[in-house]
Amino acid sequence: MKAVSGKYYFGGIHPKGQKSLASSSPLEVMPAVEKVAVSVLQSLGKPAIPCVEVGQAVKEGEIIAKADGAISSNVFASVAGVVESIAEDIGASGAAETFITIKSNGSGEKFTFPALGDPTPEEIKQRVCDCGIVGLGGAGFPTAVKVSPKTPVSALIVNGAECEPYLTCDHRLMVEKTDEIARGARLLAKALGVEQIIIGIETNKPDAIAAFEPYEDIKVVKLRKQYPMGGEKQLIYVTTGRKVGLGKLPADVGVVVQNVATCYAVCEAVELGKPLYERVLTVSGKAVAQPKNLWVKVGTPVSAIIDYCGGESSAPKKAVLGGPMTGVAIANYDQYTHKTTSAVLLLDEKEAAAKEPTPCLNCGMCADVCPMHLMPMNTAFYSAAGDYETAAKMGNVAYCIECGACEYICPAKRPLIQAIRKTKAELRKKGDK
Amino acid sequence: MDNSIVISTPPHVKSKRTTRGIMLDVLIALFPAAVAGIVFFGVPALIIELTAILACVATEFVYYFIANKGFSNKCKDAGNVCLRWWKQFDLTSVVTGLILALILPATAKWYEVLIGSIFGIAIVKMLFGGTGKNLVNPAATARVFMFLSFALTTYTAANIPALDFTSGIFTDATNLHWLLGADGNPYSKITVLDLFLGTGVAGCIGETCKVTILFGYIYLSVRKVIKWWQPLLFIGVFGFVAVFMSGFTYIATGGYIFNMELFLPHIFSGGVLFGAVFMFTDYVTSPKGVWGQVVYYVVAAVLIAVLRYFTKLEVTSFVIMLLNLFVPLIDRYIISRPFGYKKEKTQKEGK
Repeated sequence: MKAVSGKYYFGGIHPKGQKSLASSSPLEVMPAVEKVAVSVLQSLGKPAIPCVEVGQAVKEGEIIAKADGAISSNVFASVAGVVESIAEDIGASGAAETFITIKSNGSGEKFTFPALGDPTPEEIKQRVCDCGIVGLGGAGFPTAVKVSPKTPVSALIVNGAECEPYLTCDHRLMVEKTDEIARGARLLAKALGVEQIIIGIETNKPDAIAAFEPYEDIKVVKLRKQYPMGGEKQLIYVTTGRKVGLGKLPADVGVVVQNVATCYAVCEAVELGKPLYERVLTVSGKAVAQPKNLWVKVGTPVSAIIDYCGGESSAPKKAVLGGPMTGVAIANYDQYTHKTTSAVLLLDEKEAAAKEPTPCLNCGMCADVCPMHLMPMNTAFYSAAGDYETAAKMGNVAYCIECGACEYICPAKRPLIQAIRKTKAELRKKGDK
Repeated sequence: MDNSIVISTPPHVKSKRTTRGIMLDVLIALFPAAVAGIVFFGVPALIIELTAILACVATEFVYYFIANKGFSNKCKDAGNVCLRWWKQFDLTSVVTGLILALILPATAKWYEVLIGSIFGIAIVKMLFGGTGKNLVNPAATARVFMFLSFALTTYTAANIPALDFTSGIFTDATNLHWLLGADGNPYSKITVLDLFLGTGVAGCIGETCKVTILFGYIYLSVRKVIKWWQPLLFIGVFGFVAVFMSGFTYIATGGYIFNMELFLPHIFSGGVLFGAVFMFTDYVTSPKGVWGQVVYYVVAAVLIAVLRYFTKLEVTSFVIMLLNLFVPLIDRYIISRPFGYKKEKTQKEGK
């Protein structure tokens, strides 16, 4: 029981970190692959509209799909080459996505925007929008929307919690690219017109905390190792004491939250003019031969990443894109990374612990750990009976952030998140009618 | 790459804790109490404990076998039914059996224990749907059933006299009489320490030695099977209300006295401590939310203290059974308030 110091909130779980698998391996650039397939759906909201044609030559970093409306983001070619096809395919989430396949010509020609020396807030906002930057923590909310809040804000919170087990890429980024993150955070603060920059880091990353301590304009808040600490609402609460209500945005309580990787991308976009077409991701899990933290181009096939990391060391039980608590399980390696893919995990049988559910004991552990103080067992009970309205009311599912803490702790291994998602989907269906 | 890969909704990692593991923890916590019972009451206690456990497990198995058509199928299917039963066997019936044995007096006959166990598992638990679905605590209900059915005469109260007649204790009354009957009691030589250790004190098999119950409480709290504050809240409220109530017995002899010296004797006597640690904390029959639990424990404590004063009987298992029936109601109306809820409400009012 170490690392109990730091700020915390009521609820949450303490899963086994498993971070030591990859935390000591430094960031490494993965060599470009021959063919990438870039999805036009790279953020929350609408998919971008392709603006290239089959057979067209593109440079690395050239725009290939334009944002459709405000909640959408530009998509860029991640290798220099020729557009081979634009076709629909089933994405990792199981929904159809349009993929633009680019075959590399090996030239490595790059396209960049002009670098900005001393940008104005408007210029920063425009550049963030042009470069297609999205929240790299996982949700993929377009950063351009976040830096133009409707209400005045007083603080920028940089999310360095990285509370998900296994993930270490943000940790490595904080240690190795401290200055770039700080500069990116300052640029974002300038765009927002705020003075205060707060960075929240869990105490299990003492080197990252030490790296940020010398920056006088950045306040480091030590957070207890607790999941979900990096959840937006939880992070805002522990760092500022403000509570974000249902259906409200962080800007409504006067803060904006940005992930450390997003800050880094902003820094590159402004100072180097580089659009967002590559990101850091962690390859980990006990079924991977060499766990690594990699710079991977958006649209790289999962199979190529796993091959680069030495392949499978044992038969995996689950392959996950993203963190183990909220990521998407994939059925095969014919998937491609997105801007929001923070990890590729291969979990072996012991880790995945895919056990048969047993009867609910009413123990209430799910309610005890819920960071939103909900009662997931009620949702599961009523949704199993097909009464989705009562399920939503008794479990307050509208508040659920789907962090997965309830299902993690459940001694009966009940599929609680599935029940909650089902309830949400059924209610949406009803609302549409 | 093979086809053994699994896809599901997140989370993809889960805690190691299982229902079976939790029940094993409860058994470990109960073990010292069971041993102490055998030490104090001898072979009869051992027989009762074994009978209850075996009868409970066997009843569960037979019920499962019948419900899964083990008899109507061919022999090889019967084997599969047994295998399935073993796979879903989560030790809950062992816990029920042991708890039932520990809240019975050592004078209970083995066949009474057998019938009580069958009633507890078959009717109270399995007929309602098995693990997690029973409305009332099977052990408490089985005890109430036995109390009403067999031995109203010998089970005058929970704390029937110890088998150790040589200690000079009268056999026709209980500790509770001593506590509640004010003066002139024949047990004046029983000290609080005796009550705590269970030496020379009347009581049920597992309820007399409070040290072992304390061990169970600490173990379950450390293992986070129960919430540490639940038994404390219950015992605290119970102690104060019991002291408050017993003050009235002094009115006849000169006026109301709030005698805090009775606090420890009250909580150390009878089955209150055992019930607080092992029976009220039963997951299935206690409220799910924190505020529901607070209401449950406070009401239970007050009810036991008041009923004990008026009936001069051990009422813990009655109250457990009674309050279990109110748990669905508590769960229905006491729902925890989500994070950030208050803020939203005030903003709505502002509009």
